Amino acid sequence: MADQVLTIPDSLSVSPPQIADETFLERLHGWVVTVDHKKLGILYVLYSVFFLFVAGAEALCIRIQLLRAHNHFLSAAVFNRFFTMHGTTMVFLVGMPILFGFANYLIPLMIGARDMAFPRLNAFSFWLTAFGGLLLYFSFIGGFGLYGVGSAPDVGWFAYAPLTARAFSPGHSTDYWALALIVSGFGTLGTAINIIATVLSMRCRGMTLWRMPLFAWLMFVVSGLTLITITPLTAAQIMLLIDRYLGGHFFDTQAGGSAVVWMHFFWIFGHPEVYVLVMPAFAIANEIIPVFSRKAIFGYPAMVAASAAIAFVSLGVWAHHMFTVGMTSVSNAFFTLSTMLVGVPTGIKIFNWVATMWGGRIRFATPMLFCIGFLFQFLLAGLTGIMLSVSPLDWQLHNSYFVIAHFHYVLVGAIVFNIFAAIYYWYPKATGRMLSERLGKWHFWLFLIGFHITFDTMHFLGFMGMPRSIYTFEPDRGWDRLNMIVSIGGFIQGVAVLIFAVNLVWSYYRGQPAGDDPWDAWTLEWATASPPPEYNFATEPVVRSRRPLWDLKHPEDPDWRYEQ
Amino acid sequence: MTDTPVQQAAQVEERLTHLPSPTAWPILLAFGATLGAAGLVTNVGVTILGFILVVCGSIGWFRQVLPHEHLETVPMRAPLERITTTRRRVEHIEVSEQHRAYLPIETYPVMSGIKGGIAGGIAMILPALLYGLIAQRSIWYPVNLLGGAGVAHWRNPSTADIAAFHWEGLIVATVIHATTCLLVGLLYGAMLPMLPRRPVLLGGIIAPLLWTGLLHSSMSIINPALDERISWGWFLLSQVMFGIVAGLVVAREERIRTVQSLPFLARLGIEAPGYMSNHEEER
Repeated sequence: MADQVLTIPDSLSVSPPQIADETFLERLHGWVVTVDHKKLGILYVLYSVFFLFVAGAEALCIRIQLLRAHNHFLSAAVFNRFFTMHGTTMVFLVGMPILFGFANYLIPLMIGARDMAFPRLNAFSFWLTAFGGLLLYFSFIGGFGLYGVGSAPDVGWFAYAPLTARAFSPGHSTDYWALALIVSGFGTLGTAINIIATVLSMRCRGMTLWRMPLFAWLMFVVSGLTLITITPLTAAQIMLLIDRYLGGHFFDTQAGGSAVVWMHFFWIFGHPEVYVLVMPAFAIANEIIPVFSRKAIFGYPAMVAASAAIAFVSLGVWAHHMFTVGMTSVSNAFFTLSTMLVGVPTGIKIFNWVATMWGGRIRFATPMLFCIGFLFQFLLAGLTGIMLSVSPLDWQLHNSYFVIAHFHYVLVGAIVFNIFAAIYYWYPKATGRMLSERLGKWHFWLFLIGFHITFDTMHFLGFMGMPRSIYTFEPDRGWDRLNMIVSIGGFIQGVAVLIFAVNLVWSYYRGQPAGDDPWDAWTLEWATASPPPEYNFATEPVVRSRRPLWDLKHPEDPDWRYEQ
Repeated sequence: MTDTPVQQAAQVEERLTHLPSPTAWPILLAFGATLGAAGLVTNVGVTILGFILVVCGSIGWFRQVLPHEHLETVPMRAPLERITTTRRRVEHIEVSEQHRAYLPIETYPVMSGIKGGIAGGIAMILPALLYGLIAQRSIWYPVNLLGGAGVAHWRNPSTADIAAFHWEGLIVATVIHATTCLLVGLLYGAMLPMLPRRPVLLGGIIAPLLWTGLLHSSMSIINPALDERISWGWFLLSQVMFGIVAGLVVAREERIRTVQSLPFLARLGIEAPGYMSNHEEER
């Protein structure tokens, strides 16, 4: 069938940006002082990808150390620092920034706006996040503190009391952890406020909330959740600093405080944080799965309602991380049931994604492959989550490698997979070049295989009683072979990520030109040039349905005819 | 399919727009704030430098937006845009009326599920109590097995403990039993119309068998202590009793038509003249 071109008078008119002859320093200056949401979005993503490699390298070092019993690749102290920094980096310097980066880049384009509601706040938020990350890593050289001990934080990413007390954590490593996360936390709050304001006040004509892309809807919900959850963490970190330096006793059990209070504060942040991370991954799936299934998303209102329900219920599940501290039976029962309840809206989402694919003409391009991997793995992660929500089972498996396997299934199997999907999907929009499909498929299959070798096996290590965070183990425990397998899987993932890095760089210079709409997609960002000009749209778009580009491409069968 | 004529973007319109001007004040402010924090663990001089940068950044930022926001003028080249697709043909998924027959066109009213749940819940108490009397000589034994979570001070209770009366156990067991029976009864009401043949047999015997098998295989992992004390034969008997009684009570009720096929406004109960026919025409 011949390619046809529709002219839509006075609609979404743009032109490719003109590249001026600029020196390197001028271009660098342009990026440093920018308030453009697209450049800031790219900065967020680049920053996060950099730390993804750093945290990945730390994970590989951990896996080398655990390759066999009594290994001495890392010292015990360095091992503690590495798993602390790996966790902290992946959550705070990779997961949140990259997802907010996508939101920054995409939301104004998707809702037909010129920029975010507060462009300068946007820049401020990014730089706070960036400097917060640098401050955290400065601890490797600046964390010696008064006693010449310390270096990087080594108290785990959840930094339980009383380990964080000065008696047990001398020097400044824990202070760097708290201060860096306070700084980056304020950046996160700024971005969340900006996203909420942008979604509520910057939508183009005709884009009611019920016509807004699900990506924007979910980021709106996530931003609200972020505002609620970051604050207790920041408060707790300030209380921790008061304990350490101003004679406070918030978490000092011997002086009338409570170490369990820290756990409550941290997990009131920490569990909703999982949804802060995973809902943007849902948002990515909501955009990619319909486009590559050639069908509209199934159950749009249910998807919105399920997202809001997940956000709401997620605020009442935090103590399932604390079943072993000795809560009352009523508390155990409440948090067991509330945790199981999250499975209902989450299940609705999975059914809707499957229903979207059902009967569609599925294209197995790299973004879709990663999304399918996400669907499968997130389902399994949810099922092991239900298992762990049962408090008696959690008593058996708490702090074991089963838990590590479960949350890596969520964080890697769901979130990282969809982050890769998003990069493959929107890279052509941001750069004007396609990522190599061939390298992309190598990346996908190797990463998938490595992922399952690593994290499937970890479940069995958990069942066999291997605790998390141990530096080494005795050879008579029967864990040797499985640990070897886990480490091999980790290295396969490392190779896959290297292929991804090569693809990013190679395609930027040599990739096929993408055109404005390489995936034949339906949301507004594909109506503008690739990369978009700084003003996004020369004329404000007007939309009549949830798939404005479908309406333009298929005037004989537009969506607004069916949407109620 | 009708071909749409290909038109080239002929007109190029040159216009100007205003965008927020780039500024270094946000990065300066962020850097100052970070130094302010870093100084707490390095040197007070760093904090002082951070404070100075925060003050400078704040003043600069205010001057960016007050009294008027600094904007830069950006030229826009605006050719008429082309929105294209290589997939002009649209297929609609065909759903036959036969297909729809599998959806619950008729269902039981909500109250029937509740009634079934209550009746089944009462019926299954009998074999449970009978088991307590015969096997443990106490009707409180099965009650405490179910409601043991409510007896918070229990640590490794003996058989005599479980066979004794406990208010907390009774209350928790009653709440769990009543809630579960109502929910399962509602599930029966919703599912019976979808079970193709012999719904009472499927819901009353096969489903309890599967459920008991699932619990039997997993209880040793979930709660080994409880697993040791459950008599699975009696457990199955009480489940079957619930299933048959609840199924019979639900099946005796009169079915009502579902509203799945009605438009959203109708389901909301909104009455507006003509929308039913308009809706049908658009379809």
